[in-house]
Amino acid sequence: MSQMPRLHPDLDIMMEYSAGTLPLAQSACVFAHIENCAQCRQLVAELSDVGGALLAGLDPVPVGDSQLDAVLARLDEEPPLQYSAPARAPDSLPAVLQRLMRGDFSDLSWKSIGKSLRISYLSTGDTQHEFALYHIKAGGRVPEHDHCGSEMTLVLEGGFSDAEGSYHKGDFIFRRPGDVHSPTALQSEDCICVAVLDAPLKFMGWKFRWMNPFFKLRAS
Amino acid sequence: MLAVNCRVDGDAGAPSSARKDEWSECLGRIAQDQDRAAFTRLFRHFAPLMKAFALSGSKFSAIHADELVQEVMLKVWQKAGAFDPEKAAANTWIYTIARNCRTDMYRRLQKFDTAISAEDFDLEEESEEAFVVLHQHRNRHRVRELMQDLPPDQAQVVAKVYMEGKSHSEVASELDLPLGTVKSRVRLAIQKLQIQFER
Ligand SMILES: [Zn+2]
Repeated sequence: MSQMPRLHPDLDIMMEYSAGTLPLAQSACVFAHIENCAQCRQLVAELSDVGGALLAGLDPVPVGDSQLDAVLARLDEEPPLQYSAPARAPDSLPAVLQRLMRGDFSDLSWKSIGKSLRISYLSTGDTQHEFALYHIKAGGRVPEHDHCGSEMTLVLEGGFSDAEGSYHKGDFIFRRPGDVHSPTALQSEDCICVAVLDAPLKFMGWKFRWMNPFFKLRAS
Repeated sequence: MLAVNCRVDGDAGAPSSARKDEWSECLGRIAQDQDRAAFTRLFRHFAPLMKAFALSGSKFSAIHADELVQEVMLKVWQKAGAFDPEKAAANTWIYTIARNCRTDMYRRLQKFDTAISAEDFDLEEESEEAFVVLHQHRNRHRVRELMQDLPPDQAQVVAKVYMEGKSHSEVASELDLPLGTVKSRVRLAIQKLQIQFER
């Protein structure tokens, strides 16, 4: 691992992730972060112990022998699988993204917004959340926009900054509704991020306001 | 007739840190010998817990709960080879299978069209060395022991998240509490369970 990310999902997000209740598109974004974050992987392992302990402490609900027989009868169709640990090159693009992209950044269809921003929408199956890749040219600025909903961002390549700080590869940022910001890619290299939204962005400046009607949530 | 003695033998090479509890041993036997007797034992213990888990969120009918029990137990049979007692407690490992099956079933019932299954978000369990690298030690059974001493209001919110599968905001509106209160109870619980959380 080249470097540890500095910004991680908060406890409530990590907990809902480990409890399996986080919406699909958000789970994919969190997973893409923790694939390259040892600290969060450890937290998930410990949080899963909480689930295991609670499961062990539940009041059992009787299950009839017919259920057991039904399962035993199916065991032959379901032989135990052979396992070998999958090898993953450290620092590679998160596996979940490789699956969703079905190829390389260059294989995606991109939609340009002005000179320095282009967006590619990926389909996760989550109809409540848009899952998109943002590509900002080095030094380029995303027009100032408002989040009508929440926004999860994961930096995949390069980095960007806004009024609150600067963000680098692997960093995870969660914005709540009402935050207004205008991210600018670092001067040194292009920035590619994952952004997961539950409501469309609203651009503020007069130059870009005409685009708002085009920004519908592209969740699929 | 199916007297099972889930005892680990011929395992002298295994490090002593491997926890030789009954359920880990059953899983080992299933993986090695496709041992149906060991599976039956495991089923009798875990299937009723699984059913309680399926019914606790009131998201599933009794029929779906039975379906979930079968699905989870079949997965346990199939995946037993991936269980490593060095890396996870049997309870935790089985919990993650149940959680994934429940998430997938819920999405199926909601008619989600997705190529991703909950299992795709599973991580290789970290080895003990990885924890040492992080200067922390994980006792796989510590959480369970500490859970007993959790104050009821904290235990309640944690159980609603994990067993009932609710989000923090769903828990807040159900208990008629501010979201911040739910989050701080969760945070206190995590502290009491000695789970390292630095943000
Ligand atoms: Zn992290």
